[in-house]
Order: sequence, then C-alpha cells, then structure tokens
Amino acid sequence: MVKPPRRGARLRAVLAASSVALLAVSGCAKSEDGGDAGKDQGGQGQQAVQSTAAAGPTCSLDKFGGEKFDLKSAVVGFSQSEKEANPFRIAETGSIKAEAGKIGISKLRATNAQSQFSKQISDVQQLIAQGAKALVIAPLNSDGWEPVLRQAAAKKIPIVTVDRKINGTPCQDYLTFIGSDFVEQGKRAADQMIKALDGKGKVAILLGAAGNNVTTERTQGFKQQIQAKAPGIQVTFEQTGEFAREKGQQVTEQLVQSHPDIDAIYAENDEMALGAVTALKGAGKKAGDVKIVSVDGTRAAVQGIVDGWIHAVIESNPRFGPLAFQTLQKFLDGEGIPEKVIISDREYDSANAKESLAGAY
Amino acid sequence: MSQATAAPARPALDRSRALAWLQDYGVYLAVALLLLFNALFTPHFLEVGNFRTQLVQVAPIVIVSLGMALVIGTEGVDLSVGSVMSLAAAVSVLYLGYGVAPALLMALVAGAFSGVVGGSLVAFVGVQPIVATLALLVGLRGLANVLVPQLKEFRDPALLSLGSDAVLGVPYVVLVAAVVVAVVGFLMRRTTFGRRLVAIGGNRRAAELSGLPVRRVLVTVYALSGVLAAVAGVLATARLQAADPTSLGLFMELSAITAVVVGGTPLTGGRVRVAGTVMGALLMQLLTSTLTKHDLPSSWNQMAQAAIILVAVYAARERTTR
Repeated sequence: MVKPPRRGARLRAVLAASSVALLAVSGCAKSEDGGDAGKDQGGQGQQAVQSTAAAGPTCSLDKFGGEKFDLKSAVVGFSQSEKEANPFRIAETGSIKAEAGKIGISKLRATNAQSQFSKQISDVQQLIAQGAKALVIAPLNSDGWEPVLRQAAAKKIPIVTVDRKINGTPCQDYLTFIGSDFVEQGKRAADQMIKALDGKGKVAILLGAAGNNVTTERTQGFKQQIQAKAPGIQVTFEQTGEFAREKGQQVTEQLVQSHPDIDAIYAENDEMALGAVTALKGAGKKAGDVKIVSVDGTRAAVQGIVDGWIHAVIESNPRFGPLAFQTLQKFLDGEGIPEKVIISDREYDSANAKESLAGAY
Repeated sequence: MSQATAAPARPALDRSRALAWLQDYGVYLAVALLLLFNALFTPHFLEVGNFRTQLVQVAPIVIVSLGMALVIGTEGVDLSVGSVMSLAAAVSVLYLGYGVAPALLMALVAGAFSGVVGGSLVAFVGVQPIVATLALLVGLRGLANVLVPQLKEFRDPALLSLGSDAVLGVPYVVLVAAVVVAVVGFLMRRTTFGRRLVAIGGNRRAAELSGLPVRRVLVTVYALSGVLAAVAGVLATARLQAADPTSLGLFMELSAITAVVVGGTPLTGGRVRVAGTVMGALLMQLLTSTLTKHDLPSSWNQMAQAAIILVAVYAARERTTR
C-alpha cells in the first residue's frame, strides 16, 4: 500500500482538479443568441444641464487655490461605488471611460469599491497616492469622506462628485456635484401616476434599499406631490424591494394576493418594476391592469412601456462622462463653476417610448 | 421541609423535558400559531392562491435548507450555498443555447462539483468546514459574476414554464421541492448512507474506528448540498425569468442555517430533522409574509427572526450541554 500523500499534496490536487474543471465549464458555453442587440449608442441620450444654482457662488481656480494643468497628460482618477452589474453603473463607468478616451485623457485610473465604503475610501487614497491631479467620484455614501477630503485639499486636487453628493463645503472640500434631483424625480413620477389614475386610486410603493438617500428622496418627492395635487390617491402599502428584481417580484406577489384592489405601483427603480411585471403576469393580470411608474430609464423598462406593462419611466441619466470632463476643463481654464449642476432627466411614456428605445441605457 | 430533598430534582427534569419538546416540536406550534393569526387577521389569507404564493416562494429555501441540514448533521456547515445558486444561475443561461436539458444538467454538475471541492477540502485536506465553504462562498460568487457580469434575461419557453406553470394546480417549483423533501427523508430514514452520516456527525472518531468510509460519506454530503443549492438556483432563475448572479442567493446560507436550527437540528451534529427543517423554512416564510401583508417595516422582520433564532438556540442549549 502506498503511503497517503501529504496534506499539501492533497490541497494541490484538489485545487488543480478544480481549475481544470473551471476551464472546461467556461470553454464551451453557448447562450441564447440575439440577447443584447445594440449596446450603448455612442452619442444618444447625452445628459443636459437643467439648472446650475446660477444665483449661488461659483468656484474658480484662483478661489480653489490650485494650479492649471493639462487634463490630457495628467493622471485622472475615477472611483466607482458599486459593481458594474446593473445598467446604471455599466452606463456610468462606460460613459466616463469613453469620454476620457474621446478627449484624449491617457492616464485615467478607474477603481471599483464593490459596494464597500471602506474600500472606496482606500481606493481614492490609492488614486491620490498614484498622483491623481483630478478626481471624479461616484460616492457610495454621502458621509464619512473627511479623511479623503483633507488629503485631496492638501494637494489641491479638484473633486467632481457624480450621481450622489458628498457632504462637505463646495470649492473647499470638493469642486462641484453633478447629478439628478431625486426629490424632483419622485415628484415627476407622482405626476405620471396622477395622470395614469385620473387622480384617484390605491397605490403601492416598492421602496429602494433602506437607509439610502436615493430611496428617501424619491419617496419624499412622490408623497409630497401626491398629497399636494391628488388627495384622491392613497398610498396603501410600502415595502422595500431593495432595488432588486427578485425582491420586487416577491413583494409584489404578496401584495397582489393580500391587496387585490391595488390600482398602481410606484417602483423606485426599474429593476423592481420589472420584478413587479413578472409577478403580475404570474398572478394572471393583463398589461395595464395595474399601472406601474418607475425611475431609471433602462432599456428593459422602456421596452416594458412599449409592451404595455409599464405606464411611464422617469429617467435618471447615468452618462456623466461629457459633463464631468467639460466641468473640469472649464475649471482649469479659469471659468467659475457652480456648486451643483443638476441635470435634466427625460421622461418615457407610451407617446415616446418606441422611438426613445435606442437612447435608453 | 421533608420534601426539600426530592423537590429540586423534579422541576429541573420537567424543565429540560419541556425544552427538549420545544426544540423538537416548537416549530410546529409556531407555524400553527402564525397560520391561526393570519386566518383571523389577514384578508385573503385563506385562499388557494395565497398558499400557492407562499409555497412557491419558500421552495428554493426548503431545498437549500435540506442540503444544509445534511451537512450540519455531520457537524459541518456549508456557507457556499448562496454562491452555488448564483453559479447555477450563470451556468444555466450560458448553456441554454444547447437546450434546456443540457443547460440544467450543467448547472447541477457545477453544483455537484463545487460540493465535491468543498467536501474534499473538509474530508481529505482537513480544512474546517466553515473555512472551506467560506472560500467557496467568496470565490464562486466571483466566478458567477465573471461568467455572467450582469442580469441576463432569457426567452427559452421550457425554462420559463418551469418557473411559472403548474400541473393540477401545483406549480412545478413546489413539485420539485416536494420530491427533494421525499428523497432526503428517504435517505435519512431508510438508507445506510443516512445512518452513516448521523454516526459521523455524532462521533467522527468512533465512526472512523469502526471502519465507516467517513471521507467518502463527507464528500457525498457536501456534493448533495451543492446539487440541491444548484437546483434551487435554477428554480429561482426560472421564476425570475432572468439570471442575476450578482444578487441571487445573497445571504441564503444564513436563511438556510436559520431554517435548520429553528427546525430542531442541533449544530453539534449527529441528528438531522427533515420535517423540522421544512417547517423551519415555512415559519420564516410565513413570518416575512405576515409582516409584508400587514405593511410593517422590514426591520421588524429582522428583529422577529432574531427572536425566533434565540428561542431555538436556547431550547437546543439544554440538550447539548448535558
């Protein structure tokens, strides 16, 4: 009988066998075809500025205290907050990288914090250590940035935050914020809901993840507007779907079972709305039986409008690349930069969904 | 005073007996109470559609929990189940081009293989179960994300039908879960494999000394857990009508361990309660459903779950410290 192999040998054997099998698994995959027709259409669906807090103070290079440098040859850092696994993050990172390539920024350094705030802090610290002269940050949280802001301020590195804010003093801790107004998105969703229901009915809300300012503000705007404009509409149910399709589906299944009289659903992102659609189909409802209004503007949701299952979608445009780099360039050229740049988001409904499909992300 | 010598012994015995009863049957009582509460206070609860919804939602958890119960029976734990679900989701849509049967087969093979790797690390290399399967928890989710980087919808009619159709009013998803319950029940009650599993969990050293094929049984148990997690992943994917490796099965290992523990299976191994585990999963499902239907915040759900786990752990404590 041979002697049993040593532990190390066994471990190596297990690892070797696993890697061979992994290669085999990924080698001959064949998925359904025709799935992702038409990736992001270059120029379409660009962001436009809606308001720039024009009355407020602006920030210039002199006031900030930095020095002019050439954006194209400098190291520019981009810190993404969440994994590029949902359409919003994919489009956001894609837009930053594409625009950097287009205008010739050769040293763009991109990081991804994988939804861990501590990782995002160290990511940005790494970028600063690598000599980044300017930073574009999509923050996971608004708070907790003090140590990073202090380091960046000491080196006079301008920071542009996109899609979520960083709590701090503009022109001192950071340069400016570019993003959507989430309260406004909620209000516009409410306007669409009022139109869909003719001002009366019972609405359920699929809330986003708890403890997230996007959730709070989209809820606040929606409820305020409903209260002000359509007292005949009641919000009778609000449960979190955690911004995820599966959870949106499960909550909606419970909802239609216990509240069969529900007239409409306000989903705080498209993924939950699409989960709700699956649940409604499963419960034997027909397209349009329950009106759905959601926020995001992903292609799958706009397709949902075309198919009749979703009533309207308020866009939250993730294509920050052009505006972010234009803002940095203007700043370096000595122009004054407003402390926040609010972008104008589009709206999709049955009137424009079909022809807008290509511009959705 | 004359009874003082005998008196302390009796209540102590009753108390430990009561706790043992609580561990074994408390979950049935809790499910019965929740059903009663809902029948009285939740509108539209006593409808066929409602029971169908609850069973469909609980089916993947039941399937994963039974695999977990087997592993826990060997005094181990399988933290990789949620990631195996996501891997199965990714693999199934990746191979859908060959047809449903090959795609599902590949997903199950991937699950079995993950289990064999985990089981081999435990049985042959001597890595602690919690560490071996933690490595898989992290690694397999990563692999699934590499294979399918973002949510991928599919249109295959057979796979869609698996997720949404029914025979004689019983959804396929529920049917598969019922078959799994029957098979695992049979394994544990009627086969040598089941008896060996329990023997190993009760006392591994003794099992080795008496010549049981301990390593082979261990690898088989983890492989079974992997296959069951893959089955659950495929069913969840079929239901969602899309593969979502990023979020599918997140925290499933915790839900499964909860169902097993609440169902009365001790974490110290040597005992597997199949029906109890099913009831444990049902209890958690009913709890979530009750709070959702009454529109209470999800934080209540988390606190209520914690309370139930504490009761279960307390009931189990007495027996294990003896």
